[in-house]
Amino acid sequence: MKSSPSSTGTFGLIPLLLTKLNREAKEFFFTMQEFFWFSLRAFLAIPKAKRYWRDVLDQAKICGADSLPIVLVSAISIGALLAIEVGNLLEDFGAKTMLGRSTSISVIRELGPLLMGLMLSARFGSRNGAELGAMQISEQIDALRAFGTDPIAKLVTPRLVAALIMFLPLTALSDFAGLNSAAYMAEHYHRLDPGIFWNSVYPRLAPKDFVVGFLKAPVFAIIITLVSSFNGFLAKGGTAGVGRSTIKGIVVSSGLVLIANFYVSKIVLENM
Amino acid sequence: MIELKNISLKYGEREILNNVSLTINDNTIKAILGPSGVGKSTILKLMLGLIKPNKGRVIVDGTDITHMTETSLYEIRRKMGMVFQGNALFDSMTISQNLGFFLRENMKLPESEVSRRVTEQIQFAGLEGYEEQLPESLSGGMRRRVAIGRALIFKPHMILFDEPTAGLDPVSSKKILSLISSLRKNNNLGAVIVTHILDDVFNVADSVAVLYKGEIIFDDVTDKLHEAQHPFIRSILSDKILEL
Repeated sequence: MKSSPSSTGTFGLIPLLLTKLNREAKEFFFTMQEFFWFSLRAFLAIPKAKRYWRDVLDQAKICGADSLPIVLVSAISIGALLAIEVGNLLEDFGAKTMLGRSTSISVIRELGPLLMGLMLSARFGSRNGAELGAMQISEQIDALRAFGTDPIAKLVTPRLVAALIMFLPLTALSDFAGLNSAAYMAEHYHRLDPGIFWNSVYPRLAPKDFVVGFLKAPVFAIIITLVSSFNGFLAKGGTAGVGRSTIKGIVVSSGLVLIANFYVSKIVLENM
Repeated sequence: MIELKNISLKYGEREILNNVSLTINDNTIKAILGPSGVGKSTILKLMLGLIKPNKGRVIVDGTDITHMTETSLYEIRRKMGMVFQGNALFDSMTISQNLGFFLRENMKLPESEVSRRVTEQIQFAGLEGYEEQLPESLSGGMRRRVAIGRALIFKPHMILFDEPTAGLDPVSSKKILSLISSLRKNNNLGAVIVTHILDDVFNVADSVAVLYKGEIIFDDVTDKLHEAQHPFIRSILSDKILEL
């Protein structure tokens, strides 16, 4: 006789699924609660950052000077590509003279800060996650606590302060590089006079364009530093665990950077 | 003196410790013996307040530290030195920097006093000439001695060792064990040693507690371990090393 899935069997799965869902929901909210306290402690320790000024300088070098090449390369390439593609589209409408305006708004409001955020999430965030994860696995973070040092003040706050300081100039440099590469492509690819390009940039840019772009820098700095560091602190299960926590840190912080990018733009543009 | 009173601890659904009570007196060496993964290291972390029990109390020198905040615990923790299983040395710092790090961090000592204490620990650990080396360039036994030096530099009352001879060759193990014995003789320092190696217990411990399936099944002076009738203890006495 052929057996069919019995109704009791199907219904029997429901409590199991509900239990699993309940456990995962609890874990999620517990992790969120932990993250909230972790973030709060990192901010409350900011006054102690001057005690760790050497760490702040080290981290500023890592997320600033050392990250500059990758930020510039991505800004230059996206600025150039934007100029080519948008220029081609505008040419169809006979509006190539608007190339400077369209690329400058895209770069300053959105692409400059966003690309910088994603690049730093990959570079600075992965370094944070891997370094702190390795310290967690090798009990160095426990050692700090055991000998009376607050690991968040020592390890996380200097990273946060450095990121808050360095992300703004990086955004400015990213914008500068993106716009100049767009101007270069406008001149050499679309044969547009540089004067026409820059004339459509400067008079059209409004304060809100800069507010949108530069407000994103500290938001991204907070997201990337805290999310990657928190995941590093949660690392467990040997070297594979460090890998998992690092990847999780990058994926979550990159996702949050994209979401924050949208909301910062929306909120500022609707209110200014 | 450190007291654990009726401690129970769960990680998720998994019960690690069940109603564990232990007393560690000053100036004695107490071993906590048990197979891997039974919760021995957890006991050391409870003593330092690094983790909180679900039930029970942890009392250090008469102070209940069970629900103390992290900041208030720092003072208590400085009464104890901890030697972690993997040493937990800071790999970006030299040996001297590792030894002096917590003194500079947490005690307002003049730099001359910090240097004096660092030199004292370098000599004690027999690491003259290695001051400016990074931990990765030292052998396992040397790194363990640096970790012991770092734990001693605060001049604690008690020192906690997590598997002090695990992963070391027999010669290094012997050196570490004699170092632990000399600490009690010369410095009047109490110690808690978590281990799964029976020889370590007989070599250095005054008393031993055996942890098995989350419970203490034996807690007495080391010599009496031979008289214990629990089947697990009988089996480890015949095998010497716990491979469970």
